[in-house]
Amino acid sequence: MIRFENVSKRYANGHYGIIDVNLEIRRGEFLFLVGPSGAGKSSLIRLLYREDVPTTGEIYLDEFRLTQLKRRHVSRLRRQLGVVFQDGKLLTNRTVYQNVAFAMEVVGASGRDIHKRVPQVLELVGLSKHHNHYPHQLSGGEQQRVGIARALVNNPVYIIADEPTGNLDPETSFGIIKLLQEINRRGATIIMATHAKDIVNQMHKRVVAVENGRIIRDEARGVYGYES
Amino acid sequence: MSLNSIGYIVKETGRNLIYNTWMTLASVSTVAISMFVLSFFLVLTVNMNHVTSVLQSQVEMRVFIKPHVSRAKEMTLLRDSRHWSGVAKMQFFTKQEAANTLKKEFPNQKNLLTLISKSNPLFDGFNVYTKRPSDIPALASRFRKQPIVHNVIYEGQVVSRLSRLSVILKWAGWGIEGLLGLATLFIIVNTIRLAVFARRREVSVMKLVGATDWFIRWPFVLEGLILGLVGAIVADIVVGQGYHWLLFEASNALPFWPMASFHQVMQKTQDFTLGGGLLVGVLASIVALRRFLRV
Ligand SMILES: Nc1ncnc2c1ncn2[C@@H]1O[C@H](COP(=O)(O)OP(=O)(O)O)[C@@H](O)[C@H]1O
Ligand SMILES: [Mg+2]
Repeated sequence: MIRFENVSKRYANGHYGIIDVNLEIRRGEFLFLVGPSGAGKSSLIRLLYREDVPTTGEIYLDEFRLTQLKRRHVSRLRRQLGVVFQDGKLLTNRTVYQNVAFAMEVVGASGRDIHKRVPQVLELVGLSKHHNHYPHQLSGGEQQRVGIARALVNNPVYIIADEPTGNLDPETSFGIIKLLQEINRRGATIIMATHAKDIVNQMHKRVVAVENGRIIRDEARGVYGYES
Repeated sequence: MSLNSIGYIVKETGRNLIYNTWMTLASVSTVAISMFVLSFFLVLTVNMNHVTSVLQSQVEMRVFIKPHVSRAKEMTLLRDSRHWSGVAKMQFFTKQEAANTLKKEFPNQKNLLTLISKSNPLFDGFNVYTKRPSDIPALASRFRKQPIVHNVIYEGQVVSRLSRLSVILKWAGWGIEGLLGLATLFIIVNTIRLAVFARRREVSVMKLVGATDWFIRWPFVLEGLILGLVGAIVADIVVGQGYHWLLFEASNALPFWPMASFHQVMQKTQDFTLGGGLLVGVLASIVALRRFLRV
């Protein structure tokens, strides 16, 4: 379970990312974070994976209290999370397989576990045939699937995605959402910031709308709600 | 840390070193040069100390008796001179004993050894210990006037000059080494910085998926260690070959100069260069990680 209690984030230049946010996310949920550009979606997500620390308030994530979390224990928190970005953050000099395996190597997994797990995950995201390709040989949607596979491979409890479909056409975007939905069905909690109005409206999932750093709407089976 | 992690870290270190070929070479060469200069001073110091100790173990004054003088005449002079003013102690040696001492002092001189083993060209004589160093010149001339005395030698001044020189050498050596050490540190730090820069995407992904800080740091620390160590080994090989050659040349050109043995020298230089290489490598890693790898 994730809980934000009166969380504000003020940046060094004086701008606020989010202001006085209260939010509770239970395990197994699928949550869309919507709002116009500059609303504070990314700010909120960066706080979740401890890229940033709240200026005031507290964030609880399972047994972690993020303002109290020592720097050297951040890795423990991050092993509970899978993070996906708009730009994928793939390693260009490694193949699809190596990109995904890398996430397991660096947390000390054994070669045997890696050989077993990586093909399973590539199968799940539909990239088995592309395991030997380099990122530049893939389409945008396929690259995004590699990013998701890498986020998934260590079996995180929470998948956090910041506009994972930002660069993709609607059809491809829909494929990515379906994939995340499948992952959600298998037990992971999904938190996804997005601009994709049509998708949000079709999915009937929980929608949290942010504007100017504040949560202005939180609906269990919501819609995007903006004319964008 | 698991075996998997160690394997990974070693692999990544290798990757860094190979990826940055030129910086790797530059680092290893600077370490090697700096360690070579260190070794140069060590070789000098070890040799100075060797010469000094050889001279110090020699007595203050040696009186050599002409060849073919009877043992009885030698003993008469020994008895008489014991009571001369300034004499503290006298010690008689035969030419055979003199040869044995020489052999100990110049273990590297094969020609010399065969020469004195065949027909001993040395003299019988006395070791004379004086009460005060200032007694030496007067006593020396008194011995020289004796008809059976061949010659008299003493080297007290040489010893004290040598030890003063070796102190100067030591400080000059450390001074130069300090500067070189800084230069070496600087270039290794930059090598690691380039490796960190080349791998910034990897590092950011590692952080994202929950690699521990030390897991991220180790390859760079290891890189510094390896650069320092390999540089030191290169220097050692050069110094070893060089000193070997020097010993050989010196035994021809300066046959009576007491050179420190190969092992005496290499033991000292190896300790210092390996220690120095590791030290500079570790220091560079720490500096580089503090400044360039914010994990
Ligand atoms: N690193 C930062 N430094 C200063 N201000 C920032 C930083 N990141 C975001 N902001 C500001 O915080 C607000 C929210 O931005 P962001 O969270 O990126 O919004 P969104 O992801 O919804 O587009 C904006 O006003 C933005 O200018
Ligand atoms: Mg954003």
